[in-house]
Amino acid sequence: MLNFQKTRGILFYLSVFIFFIGLPFILSFALGYKFNQHSLKFVKTGLIFVKTQPAGAKIYLNGKLTSEKSPASMQELLPGTYKVTLELAQYYPWNGQVEVEAGRVSRVDKVIFFPVRPNLQQLNQEKFSSFRIDPEKKTIYYLDQEKKALYRSNLEANNFEDLVSLPDKFSQINGWEVSADQKKVFIFNYHQISVIFFDPRLDDEYASSIVFLDYPQEKVVNVFWHSDSYHLVVLTNKHVQVIESRLNAAPVNLVELNKEGSAAFYDTKKDALYFSDSQRDLEGNFYNNLYKLELSTNLYSLEKLISQPFGQVKPLEKKELRE
Amino acid sequence: MNKAAILKRILEIIPGGLSWSIIISLIILSFLHPVSSAIIIISFDFYWIIRTLYLTTLLVMAHARLSRQRNEDWLARCLNLPANLGFSELYQVVIFPVYNEGLEVLRPSLEALSRSHYPKEKIILVMAFEERNKQAHDLALILEKEFSGRFGAHLSTFHPDGILGESRTKGANATWAAKMVKKFLDTRRIAYEQVVVSCFDADTCVDQEYFGCLSYHFLTSDKRHQASYQPMPVYNNNIWQAPSFARLVEISSSFCQMIESMRLEKFVTFSSHSMSFKTLVQIDYWPTNMISDDSVIYWKGYLYYNGDYRVIPLYVTVSLDVAYSSNIWRTMVVQYKQKRRWAWGVENFPFVVNGFIRNKQISLFHKLRRSFHLLESHVTWAVWAVILIVIGPLPIFFGGAFFSQTAIAYNLPKITGLLFKFTLFTSLTWIFLSWTILPPRPKGISWFKHLFLILEWIFVPFIILIIGSAPAIDAQTRLMLAKYMEFNSTLKGNKVL
Repeated sequence: MLNFQKTRGILFYLSVFIFFIGLPFILSFALGYKFNQHSLKFVKTGLIFVKTQPAGAKIYLNGKLTSEKSPASMQELLPGTYKVTLELAQYYPWNGQVEVEAGRVSRVDKVIFFPVRPNLQQLNQEKFSSFRIDPEKKTIYYLDQEKKALYRSNLEANNFEDLVSLPDKFSQINGWEVSADQKKVFIFNYHQISVIFFDPRLDDEYASSIVFLDYPQEKVVNVFWHSDSYHLVVLTNKHVQVIESRLNAAPVNLVELNKEGSAAFYDTKKDALYFSDSQRDLEGNFYNNLYKLELSTNLYSLEKLISQPFGQVKPLEKKELRE
Repeated sequence: MNKAAILKRILEIIPGGLSWSIIISLIILSFLHPVSSAIIIISFDFYWIIRTLYLTTLLVMAHARLSRQRNEDWLARCLNLPANLGFSELYQVVIFPVYNEGLEVLRPSLEALSRSHYPKEKIILVMAFEERNKQAHDLALILEKEFSGRFGAHLSTFHPDGILGESRTKGANATWAAKMVKKFLDTRRIAYEQVVVSCFDADTCVDQEYFGCLSYHFLTSDKRHQASYQPMPVYNNNIWQAPSFARLVEISSSFCQMIESMRLEKFVTFSSHSMSFKTLVQIDYWPTNMISDDSVIYWKGYLYYNGDYRVIPLYVTVSLDVAYSSNIWRTMVVQYKQKRRWAWGVENFPFVVNGFIRNKQISLFHKLRRSFHLLESHVTWAVWAVILIVIGPLPIFFGGAFFSQTAIAYNLPKITGLLFKFTLFTSLTWIFLSWTILPPRPKGISWFKHLFLILEWIFVPFIILIIGSAPAIDAQTRLMLAKYMEFNSTLKGNKVL
């Protein structure tokens, strides 16, 4: 019994000794302190945490290779600026300056490595001018201005299919888009919009396979398909208007614009047109406003989203809609 | 409220107040000053690892002693003792306080007693029933009939309900039985000095060598009457049938008791234990109004003998039932209530400190030391799992953006994780030792269960959370708020209840 109690006593005091000797080291490590052998003092250090995607990168600190690989933390670094280089075979290296502060973590944890030879795949060898991918991500449409042709393929650039020939008189095409129903395409230049049907037999309403809409007085800036695949939303240098994609259709001016060259974005899903226009108030201050024009079949409204003044900010009334 | 009552209330508030203060202040600190909180948590983690390594070493030592001593022929050693030590005149009184246990619990306990490697004519069996238990007289008759002639004497006592000053506790029943034994011994003119009394839980199955070992230690110890004798409780009666959760908790309890047996200066009686009948009479028996009678009896002896009273560990086992029920949820409830009852041992603190204040013979150093040990053990029990599992991650979650950029915030989970990897070594030791104390696998239980018994240790962290601190906090809070617990027998049995 005595021997057991003696052994236990030794174990107890040994445990107490380990605790009181070990604790300062553990706490100083946790707080970022490092014992400086030269000055015989504890110096507060910082650390750099490195995390990369993918992991396993070699880590260089001030040009010196460390034994760690990402993800890793470089502990006990004296405060200062460090040049960090991360290298991973087959990927472009990452370089950066990292500031280390005493008792703090500097994180380099948003590094993404990009491959030296990216996964680049040539799908085909064609002479098209531009291409579109349909919203369902199934078809690629190609427009060849030189041959005046529109054709399509699947996403792997196989199964090519000629769709339509473009009208000869369209010497220049400023923009084009296939309708949501994927049965027609519009092309436009400054003074003319043309809607070309892939297969006119499918719709008896259309007398011709090509519809021309002329804009002799205005300059067409941009054109969008309405979600019904029948109306076109047209942005000219003077108006925002809608027009049916049929022969002899007359445009409806929805908004009169104050300035030329308005920027526009059309949300096909919600049938909303976002466009910019300028405005001058009674005191002569100019504003550049962003508008949202809702064109869905059950909702038709214009709303001003922001007003960016050129001068001082003034409360403005809602822009009048023009029918 | 008089001065004594005020003092008692203050002492009742101290353990719970201290535990809650530690928990709440650490939680608040995690918000207000997460760096300080992280420092405290890392320090506590490190302390806990060192403590676990230290206690596991003690467990290995205790296990080595148990392995060596449990297989000794203690009766032969008793017979070889000098005649003047009085082995031939020594009697063993065995009291089984029965609350509402049935024959399926009592019968195996008496069977084990009758298989003891000890002269049975020297054993006085006392079945201590509660008068309020309607089955008591029938049970007594059945057992008297079944076990007649197997022991030197077989007494059945019936503790009346509602004695003034008593609570419905096991201690009240055991005390009533002990008083009946006193009358019996007086009638037979047996000196109290020649009697060792053992108070066993109803499900206690003694090792064959228990009474030999007890007698040997009793007869050969200095100041034999100034000691209690504590066997190692193991929960082997139904361990192969019990669910993992309950089994792990009880194995851990056995190990804790083995560890405590190595720390003699803190060792206190627990559950089934033995002592001199003379001392029991002198210190006025077990307490009749306290639930933790098993430990209070030690403190009564300690105070009576002015600090010159100790607990001698006996490295033989007494086997008890694992407390469990028909499903995991009910088992958790049963286990929780049992551990809360054990944690109610915190009522010892006001009892002991009150006793120390009245006692002028015990030195101030010993008074402070024992009070501190008692308080520290209960407070640690209540807070350790909360600090490690609940408060540990708080600075990371609530420290804010500034704290998250500090080195200590980055290092806190790393250091904690690293330190806890060290505990894997201790866990492996516990797994191995738990395997060695298992009883033989009963027929009909697959060998696969052996493997399961090892793998189940992965549940320990969850068990710690449920059974670790919560029952102790519960018990201490009740004592703090003067919502005193009543004794409730734990659901036990070889069959699922």
